[in-house]
This record gives sequence, C-alpha cells and structure tokens, in this order.
Amino acid sequence: MTLLRRPARWTRTGDPIETGPRWSTRRQASAYAILIAGAMVFIVPFWWMFATSLSRRANSGLPRVPNFWPGDPSDFNYMVASANLPLFRFYFNSFVTVLAVTLGYLFFSSLAGYVFAKGRFPGRGLLFLVFLTTLFIPFPMQMIPLYLLMRDMGLNNTLAGLVVPFLVGGFGIFLMRQAMLSVPDDLVDAARLDGASEFRIYRAVMLPLVKPTLVTLAVISILWRWNDILWPLLVNSDRNLYTVTQGLALAGRTDGLRAGVAMATAAMAIFPVVVAYIIFQRWIIRGIATTGTRG
Amino acid sequence: MVLAQRIRRNWHWYALIAAPLGLFLLFVAWPTINAFRLSLYERQGQEEVFVGLDHYVTLLNNQVFIDAVTNTVLLGVAFLAIVIPLALVLASLMNGIRHFSTPLKVIYFLPQITSSVAIALVFQHIFQPDWGLLNGILHGVGIQDTPLWLAEPRMTLTGSRAAVTILAVWMGLGYFLIIILAGLQTVPRDLYDAAAVDGASPTQAWRHITLPGLRPILIFLIMTGIIDAMARFSDLWMLGGPNGTPARSLQSLVGFMYRTAFESNNINLASAVAVIFFMIVLLITAVNYGLFLRRDHTTVA
Repeated sequence: MTLLRRPARWTRTGDPIETGPRWSTRRQASAYAILIAGAMVFIVPFWWMFATSLSRRANSGLPRVPNFWPGDPSDFNYMVASANLPLFRFYFNSFVTVLAVTLGYLFFSSLAGYVFAKGRFPGRGLLFLVFLTTLFIPFPMQMIPLYLLMRDMGLNNTLAGLVVPFLVGGFGIFLMRQAMLSVPDDLVDAARLDGASEFRIYRAVMLPLVKPTLVTLAVISILWRWNDILWPLLVNSDRNLYTVTQGLALAGRTDGLRAGVAMATAAMAIFPVVVAYIIFQRWIIRGIATTGTRG
Repeated sequence: MVLAQRIRRNWHWYALIAAPLGLFLLFVAWPTINAFRLSLYERQGQEEVFVGLDHYVTLLNNQVFIDAVTNTVLLGVAFLAIVIPLALVLASLMNGIRHFSTPLKVIYFLPQITSSVAIALVFQHIFQPDWGLLNGILHGVGIQDTPLWLAEPRMTLTGSRAAVTILAVWMGLGYFLIIILAGLQTVPRDLYDAAAVDGASPTQAWRHITLPGLRPILIFLIMTGIIDAMARFSDLWMLGGPNGTPARSLQSLVGFMYRTAFESNNINLASAVAVIFFMIVLLITAVNYGLFLRRDHTTVA
C-alpha cells in the first residue's frame, strides 16, 4: 500500500512553495523545547548502551543510579563479545544476502514494472492483477508453506534460502510500474524506431529515468531484509550462516545478565547501521515518506 | 486465431515477464495457496489425511490461542492509541519551526533503521528492575517503589504489556512522524496566512486547516498500523521467548504460529493459525474500508 504523494513543495515553475504556519518566536521556542526534550528520549538509551558497553563492572551489576560515563572505560566487553560470537562472519552473511536480495529485487521489479507500464499484449491486465493480489498479504501467512518449500528444495541452512523467496514481490513491481508510467511513450517509441530491443529500451532508456524510485526501493529492501529475524529463524539453524539479527538473539539468550557484554554486542550491531544511516539519511527518509513503507 | 496471432507477435513481452512471474508463482503465490490447503489436512506418518475444519475447531477451543489473539489485538490498539496522537502533535510542532527540523527528524527516526532485535536487547536491560536505566531515572527523581516492568505479567500500567507498548511507541514514533509531516508539508502557507488575516489563532488554524488535510494519511496509518500490529513478532519474541514469558503476557499471534509449527512440529495446525491470521487482517481491512474510504469516495465524487 502506498501513498505515492510527494510533498508539493515546488510549483511547476520551480519556485519553492512555502509550507507550514507562521509562528511567533515565542511559540517556536516552546516547540523547540518540546522537540529537543523528545529527541533526548531517543538519544539517551543509545548513549546509555554505549556507556554501559565500556564498563567492565557492568557485568556484575550496575549502580542503582544510572551512569552515563563509566568509571572504568575499557574495550574489555568488546573483546569478550567478539570472542564469544563470530560477529564479522554474521556481518558477512547479512551483507551478502541483503545485497543479493536487493539487486535481484530491483532487477525483477523494474523489469516487470516495465512490461506492465509500456507493454501492450493479451493478458497484461490479468497478470498484473495476479501480482497485486498478494500485495496485502502479510508475510506470516506464507512463511510455513515457504519453509516446507525450502526444505524440499534443499535450501534450508543455505544463504540462498535467505535470498530466493524475496527476489520478487508485488510491491516493488507496483512501485516501478507507477514510476515508469510517467515516462512519455514518445521516448520508448523513438528507441523502438531506432531498432532497439525491448530489453535494451528497458536497460538504456527506462532505468536511468527511474533512478530515484530504484533508490527508494533499494532502501526499503535493505532495511526490510537486514532487520528481519523471523525468516532466518525458520530456515537457518547453522551457526556459520547466522545473520546479525540471529547473532544478537543468541547474545540476548546467553549474555542475559552480563549487561556490559550484551550492550557491546548490541553496539557492534547498531553502530555500522547508524553510520550508514547518517550518510544516506536524506534518501532513506524521503524514500519512506513518499511510499509509506518501511520494509 | 486473431488472439493466437497477437500472442505470437508479442512473444517478447511474455519472455520478459517469464522470470519474475515464475519466481512469484513459486515463492509467493503457491505458499499462500498452500497455507489454505495444509490447514485442511493432518499428517499421519507418511500420509496426508483430509480432516476438513478440524484444526479450526481445535484452535477455537484452545484458550492459549484465544489469549494470543486478544493479546495481539490489545497491544496493537494500545500502541496505535498512543503513537498516532503523539506523532500528530510532534509533527505539527516540527512543521511550525523554521530550522533544525532535519537533524530532529533524523534522531526521531533512528530506531526505525535499527533492527528491533538489537533494540529489544538494549531495552531488556533498560527495563531491568534493579539497575535498569528506566528505574534508575525513576529512582533518581525520588520514586522509591519502582515497578517490575517486564517481570510483571499482570495487566497493569507498569507491567510487561505496558513495557512492550512503551518500546513499540519508542520504535515506531519516527515512522508515524515522518509520514504525518510529509502530509503537513503539502499544506501551503497561504492557507495559514489567510486564516491569520481572518483572526484565527494558531490552535484554531491547526484544528480547521491542518487536521482535515491529514484525514487520508491518518486512515492509511491506522490501516497499515493494525496490519503491522497483528504481525508483530520480533521484539516480543526477543523479550518473552516463544511462550511470551512472563505468564504468556507477551504471547503474540505470530509467536503462537511459530511455536505450533516449529516447537510442537504441527505444521497443519499452524497453517490454520496462518489462515485465521489472514482472515483477521482481511476483516480489519474490509471494516476500515467500509468505515472510512467508501465515504471518502462518495464525498470526493
């Protein structure tokens, strides 16, 4: 389900439209105060996690009044956490599977999107409807039969088992079709007159024109697959093939009360993602705001 | 004949769609259909025996299943009832300020990009009754009788259900805020200026200009929010395990499905859970559609 509504912040002539009310300085000041207090609620838990992860003593109980900087900062917990779990291995597994899913998802979504946006052939409407019907069906509905299918195909406990079910989806096809509908037919017809094949038109004419939508779709796919725990839990019980989320779940069960080590594990899983987020935040937030989907 | 000719002449379109269609039928369409089929059979040794609606009868007589459904609905309603008004207020404030809205957005949105498993791991310690961050702060401001949070299964405002609702709001707020803010930013300033000329206060402008424009977005958020809430799994599983410990207070519908399929090894019964889950989602969507969207269509037309 999509909103597909971009903020109308520019007029046709390119002048920015001013939006939002005109508030007095005093009113704005109180708005800032509330918003900054709210922002603290989001930062403090992350900071506390970091502070605790640096404290060796945190493993044998924390002080009653929370510490926001440990008296004994050291990388001890990080050493223990990396010795306990092959986190780099988990990172590699997550990275490879998310990359494979995302590349495949972008390719198949844009290819099918092109066919439904610019193709004229018998059965087009019916086929598109087939893809759309599953758009509203949440994943848990399919997961058990999908697990049986993976088992029968021998894909249990393989990285491929984490990839193949997510290569094609109704949402991606729908989004790409919408984007390609807005490309004028004249461009496609001109390429056809030049003798280009449909696949070549798709690759050389269409894809460059829908780059923003491809970026949006990539963001959604990466967030969705990177953070998933349910599917890896079902098909993947081989420790060597664990994803980052599975490693975290394992740490949650084994490091239960050793707060320092647990927080160091969480920090190692969170920080790389946060760095990537800060670099790409513009695309990530815009992608989610325009589609209404968060992966 | 003509149709056959048209199909032959358009063979290249079918060639392009073949691979996506094949993958889709195998990995999306077939599992969906198979869930219905499996829910009507029972595995006996090597054979599958048709048992009709037996699994559904079993489920409806199973108090643990009924509790899982009510629990999921309850947690979902509590979450949406808090997160939507809160996001609405914060987004309105963010729409009124002139500077720094981007860094604020980035901070509020931070939990959305972090995996819920990592966040649940951190909050497991934040909610720890003796030395957790939350009780530490409560203690610091002078509250002696600090709550048990995740260790309290009873239905109280400081029990496990309240804790996971706080967690869900903390995780989800940024998403709701960004979507609502995108809607607010479609309202041109001219409208607010006109209202100010007519003597409307900022609060009146909010009530009569901002809020009506947000209606479709709020409906969208409620509909998708309910579906996501029904499918909630990872944080509850992380904090309460497959049984929703303590005392099944964190048992979710998908958690129950997972446990039935992979711990009790009853794939067929779990498929019936999946079908009921699907029916609930379908029902909610239909009810929402009847309540809100149809009215929108008639008023627009």
